Amino acid sequence: MNTNSFASRTQRYQLDNGIQLLVLENHGNPTVSLYGYFWAGEYFNPQGKDALAGITASMLGKGTTRRSKLEIAESMESRGARAGFSSNMFTTSLSGLSLSKDFPLIVSTLAEELRLPAFPQDELDKMRQRMIASIREDQDETRVRAYERLTQILYPAGSPFHRAPADQLISEIESITIDDIRTFYETYYGTGSMLITVVGDIVPDDVLKLIEQSLGDWQGASPSTIDLPVTPLQSEPMRETISLKDKPNCDVVMGHASRLRRSNPDFIPAIIANRALGHSTLSSRLGMKVRDEMGLTYGINSGFSESGIGDGPFTISVTVAPENIDLVIDTTIEITNDYIAEGITETELADEKSSMGGSFKLSLATNGGMAGRIADSVLFGLGIGYLDEYPSIIAAITKDEVDEAIRKYIHPDVATTVIAGTFE
Amino acid sequence: MFTKITEYEGITEYRLDDNDLKVVLVPQRAAPVVAFMVVYRVGSRNEAVGHTGSTHLLEHMLFKGTPTYNKKNGNQVAAVLQKQGAVFNADTWFDRTRYYEMLPNDQLELAIHLEADRMRNSFIADEDRQSEMTVVRNELERGENDPGRILDERVWAMAFREHPYHHPTIGWRSDVEGVPTSRLKDFYDTYYHPNNSTAIVVGDFDDQTALDLIAKHFGSVPRSPHPIPHMYTVEPPQEGEIRFKLRRSGQLGLIEMAWHIPEARHEDSAALTVLDHVLSAGVTSRLYQALVETQIAVDSGASSFQFVDPGLFTLDVTLTPGVDHETAEKAALEVIERMKTEDVTESELQKAKNIITTQLIFLRDSPFGVVSAIGEAEAVVDWKFYVDLPKMIEGVTAADIKRVANTYFTEDNRTVGYFIPREF
Repeated sequence: MNTNSFASRTQRYQLDNGIQLLVLENHGNPTVSLYGYFWAGEYFNPQGKDALAGITASMLGKGTTRRSKLEIAESMESRGARAGFSSNMFTTSLSGLSLSKDFPLIVSTLAEELRLPAFPQDELDKMRQRMIASIREDQDETRVRAYERLTQILYPAGSPFHRAPADQLISEIESITIDDIRTFYETYYGTGSMLITVVGDIVPDDVLKLIEQSLGDWQGASPSTIDLPVTPLQSEPMRETISLKDKPNCDVVMGHASRLRRSNPDFIPAIIANRALGHSTLSSRLGMKVRDEMGLTYGINSGFSESGIGDGPFTISVTVAPENIDLVIDTTIEITNDYIAEGITETELADEKSSMGGSFKLSLATNGGMAGRIADSVLFGLGIGYLDEYPSIIAAITKDEVDEAIRKYIHPDVATTVIAGTFE
Repeated sequence: MFTKITEYEGITEYRLDDNDLKVVLVPQRAAPVVAFMVVYRVGSRNEAVGHTGSTHLLEHMLFKGTPTYNKKNGNQVAAVLQKQGAVFNADTWFDRTRYYEMLPNDQLELAIHLEADRMRNSFIADEDRQSEMTVVRNELERGENDPGRILDERVWAMAFREHPYHHPTIGWRSDVEGVPTSRLKDFYDTYYHPNNSTAIVVGDFDDQTALDLIAKHFGSVPRSPHPIPHMYTVEPPQEGEIRFKLRRSGQLGLIEMAWHIPEARHEDSAALTVLDHVLSAGVTSRLYQALVETQIAVDSGASSFQFVDPGLFTLDVTLTPGVDHETAEKAALEVIERMKTEDVTESELQKAKNIITTQLIFLRDSPFGVVSAIGEAEAVVDWKFYVDLPKMIEGVTAADIKRVANTYFTEDNRTVGYFIPREF
């Protein structure tokens, strides 16, 4: 094995309680990044409690049975260190960043918050108020409104991709109790599905000792499993308009269910298929026409949102002044249809492969970037060796594979279009 | 070819003898990546009525091509950089315009060549200006969708009556629409010269190789045929509080307060930076405790804007629904008044300093973080301002904090804006 490979440089440990620990030494800067996750994300929200996973993760930072929120914040902020929890669609993640000398503090704080949360009522009340205000603020954003409505049309209620309407979400948040949070915590929080990656100025065996001391004798809930059916492609196009006041700019989002997951064998060809169409406003087909040539927008992008464990939508998003909406939509559909008919050019294919290779190198230039890449390769069942194989996997993709992915995953003919803005 | 000007804390400064280009080399060998940036000492500070927003519009025009790199040849700047997977862009602010690339280190020459080429060879063609003007207008419209951003723009416009910090960098709408291409070309010919710019290289590179490449590509660019014009407008002292209300569609009430503060190179800058962190960094900060923890506000912040010329210290509050503006303003001003009458505690002072210095170390994880920080320092003072910042911060005392609070946080020096959501 190449001694410079990720597979050889990453130390792997398996604790008795199930925690997988991956450590990569990088002494370039006296800092350490930690990133990890376990299966306790929004997918596991009980019906009618869409915000519960997020609230539970945030409540971990609101004090433990040993120390108040303020005492913990004081100990972290006084050293400029950061640590916390947040919920994602399928996982709850833990993250930390500190100077290497403060790394033990990061681990002990995260462990204390994970194992001994106090879940104080007054903190829930305050958080509820802030969350509701933030939802109301979001409702004033054209981009949020357009995307939110699109997910409601494309995915049934109960799907993790379906974003609940604001009023419903607010009344659910108002009804969540400390008992709900505690039950969610006891059902889903545990070490069985936990992965922790640590990258930075640290010795791997020292990290192992710290994790063993702070989390080695904890088990928590048994790991949960995910059983999510693939959402079928829509059969008809739809169009909806959302009216807001005082918005000189409109957001248009077009999209459909993608059926693309990270586990699909043609995932990489699908990513390349999208990149040439709309990954970059400044150089992809959509941007070159709609922005560079026609001057109709500041930003136009396409992409597979949330194609990972599950299959999120394929979307094309563009910002535009109200008088140009129809022109932008018609042009976008025309460019996309031409692309489907012609396929990717050999030049585009070569450029996108080269671009992915370069951007992969850049993503490994920081401790945080490396920790994220390592965690993802395990999350998606690819293994760390995948990071070493990635450049040759990209190089081997053919035009036929990409053209097939274009035809399989991009369907403007059945896309739903949602437009949010001021129309007078 | 180059004169070595100085070497300080591992950073070396050179001057390219032929044209006075300032070159700053910052080795950082943690990953095989480099960041390259050219900072021009021209921003919206150099604009006046009729051509506000020109510097920014010109920045967009520098993506439209040169005889060497252009769309017709299929090698416009964005496409060749995207092909390398580079992180690249440009942006404009009050005092500077910057162009940057972060890319694999074997591509350093590409970045240097592109920037040297577009320094003097950009087309700045009228037909490109027409299509790009509408792109920028959409960028402006996107900003106008955001209540916080509109309020902030108004605060600066009210606080600055004579100095060009009065107008936003994006410009006034009718100026953006009306400015002729010849005016943009004038800006380009006046300010885009090696003797008005700094080239910064950060990352894993060999010093001599980098200097050779800079000499090869920038060496033939002549120094400006005229002196770079001096911007001489001075903002007179504000003689009395300014207050205003802005009513528009929105969800949450906002307050922004601002006080004039001195230029970046002033001796009070470090104390103002520490004061900003005492007020607003983290859960333990004064504003968070007084406003958010008490549920008067859902969010609050403070920023010390230090520029070439005297800037503003701003304080912003997002109101909890149901709380009136006057109550929140009173609570925020009580926090400010306490800074004037009581010393900050030793632990509070040390915490603010630690947060600032650890953030500077975290920044070093990525060449882009470092090149950005050095670029901003170059724009307002010089790169040593970035290197010396930790020392300057360390020297700040509780008495300094109290003194600057008393000097600048006066009623006559204050501007207060309310954003009041309009009911329909």
